[in-house]
Amino acid sequence: MSSGNVLEMRQLFAGYGSGGDILRGVDLQIEEGDFMCLIGPNGAGKSTLLRTISGLVKPRQGSIQFRGQEIGGLRPDRVFRLGLAHVPQGRSTFPDMSVWENVLMGAYTLHDRRIRQERLEQACAMFPIVERQRNKVAGLLSGGEQKQVEMARATMTGARMILLDEPTLGLEPRASRTVVEKMQELNASGVTILLVEQNARTGLAASRTGCVMELGRIKLQGHGPTLLQDPEVKRLYLGQGGTMTAPRPPTGQVVA
Amino acid sequence: MNGQLLAQSLVLGILTGGLYGLTSVGLSLIFGIMRIINIAHAALIVLGSYLALALFRSFGLDPLLSILLLIPFFLLLGGAIQWGILDKLSSKDLTLTVLATFGVAIIVEGLQGAIWSSTYVSIRTPYSLSSVQVAGLYIPVVRVMAGLASFVLLAAVFVLLYRTNLGRAIRATTQNRTAAQLVGVHAGFVTTVAFAAGLAMAGAAGPLLGMLYSFYPATHWLLIGKLLAIVVLGGLGSLTGTFAAALVLGVAEQVAGVTLPLEWGPMLFYVLLFGTLIVRPQGFFGAVRRGSL
Ligand SMILES: Nc1ncnc2c1ncn2[C@@H]1O[C@H](COP(=O)(O)OP(=O)(O)O)[C@@H](O)[C@H]1O
Ligand SMILES: [Mg+2]
Repeated sequence: MSSGNVLEMRQLFAGYGSGGDILRGVDLQIEEGDFMCLIGPNGAGKSTLLRTISGLVKPRQGSIQFRGQEIGGLRPDRVFRLGLAHVPQGRSTFPDMSVWENVLMGAYTLHDRRIRQERLEQACAMFPIVERQRNKVAGLLSGGEQKQVEMARATMTGARMILLDEPTLGLEPRASRTVVEKMQELNASGVTILLVEQNARTGLAASRTGCVMELGRIKLQGHGPTLLQDPEVKRLYLGQGGTMTAPRPPTGQVVA
Repeated sequence: MNGQLLAQSLVLGILTGGLYGLTSVGLSLIFGIMRIINIAHAALIVLGSYLALALFRSFGLDPLLSILLLIPFFLLLGGAIQWGILDKLSSKDLTLTVLATFGVAIIVEGLQGAIWSSTYVSIRTPYSLSSVQVAGLYIPVVRVMAGLASFVLLAAVFVLLYRTNLGRAIRATTQNRTAAQLVGVHAGFVTTVAFAAGLAMAGAAGPLLGMLYSFYPATHWLLIGKLLAIVVLGGLGSLTGTFAAALVLGVAEQVAGVTLPLEWGPMLFYVLLFGTLIVRPQGFFGAVRRGSL
């Protein structure tokens, strides 16, 4: 890990079943401690990229190194045990379990009671909702509350890096802000974050670095605030209200 | 109608309900985690009955004790079926997987016919005709034993599911497979364990049913219909719902037996099923989930 990168992807290709490639040669490096925001139009392959990193989708070609170790093609439970957590798009609580049981499931791989207790306390300190709603059935919480439970659950193993896929999608503004704050707190505590965000302005403002994905490749990568000023990013992604309005590249364009 | 008879059928109904619970909770567990109906479930119950009969005839082994041998046997059989057949198919097509369980049912039925012939048999123990007297009611010993054994086994399964790490992993995988994998659960392994546990419940129920009713290789077709009705009535995916539905149908069946004309018996399950589904399409405990998935 001489490079200081926690996560490095090289020429990564992946797709579903017998369909065509969705990831078409992703090259991306993320430094230890970074808070990176990945933006891009719908269908660009952002979720697929996160799923491929966490092992839910098998790469067809290329490499993924996490802290110097090749993880491409590992089962998701193996990747998680190495300290890389993934909060997927949409709801991903265990809906019929209590909030408390949900968070405990995050410690499924931990067998040391003392460490588990310690982590529980940390999770409760960062996400007070866990204590406040502990006996409530998770499926009945609001979307924002469920997201916080999912995030608390993801921290239970002391993950070094967390992938978050559009965690604010569908949340009301206040809940969105809480989720963004929690991500920043996590990052401040030393966890590297890769965030996929459909609202480019919010995402790039909250993060340190950013990158833009289009048609299964990383098109731009750089300092978040700088990207916000980039004329092309501005034109494509920061149009009306910062949502993505121009997902279609010119026809016939071949990205080398 | 006299009160004594009603009380008697109520007690018998609860005991029968326990046995229905043991058989249908296993089916429900498998449905929950694999999203397939194990058509072979009842055929494997009948296999349990035949094996218990064979052990009883050859070694004089009491059917209740044979459960202790049948549980590990069916765990292994379940592991083999899931890992060797169903898992290989489920990644391709769930319909194919259901068809495969249908195939297993046919094969098990055929083998039973070949080994034990297709005539009616039953497990007759020395105590098969005795009764116990409880509060003025006469209850056959075998019904008490089958009912109590079912409740004990069900309690063990619920403790496994709700009080152990492995049980939590099974429930987590049932509720959200992807999320379970993302907290470090090896979903494939846990699915195999759950399928095997479901089959072990089927196998354990075999001797109990075999002590109560006569059976032959094709009896499972009648049984699987009842079990499916129970699972649907309880609400797909809810184990406590399945258990509640089993008790309700067990009691209803016994009470109907002493109050309604005989022809009603076989229809009762389905009448209750459709009646409930009209009022409550998600069954007793079926959840109407919020949000996606
Ligand atoms: N489970 C799946 N099976 C097949 N194709 C999929 C699946 N999930 C996503 N896709 C396809 O992959 C492409 C990229 O999707 P996704 O990674 O979800 O994009 P994004 O998250 O950037 O919106 C889309 O064309 C989508 O239709
Ligand atoms: Mg997405």
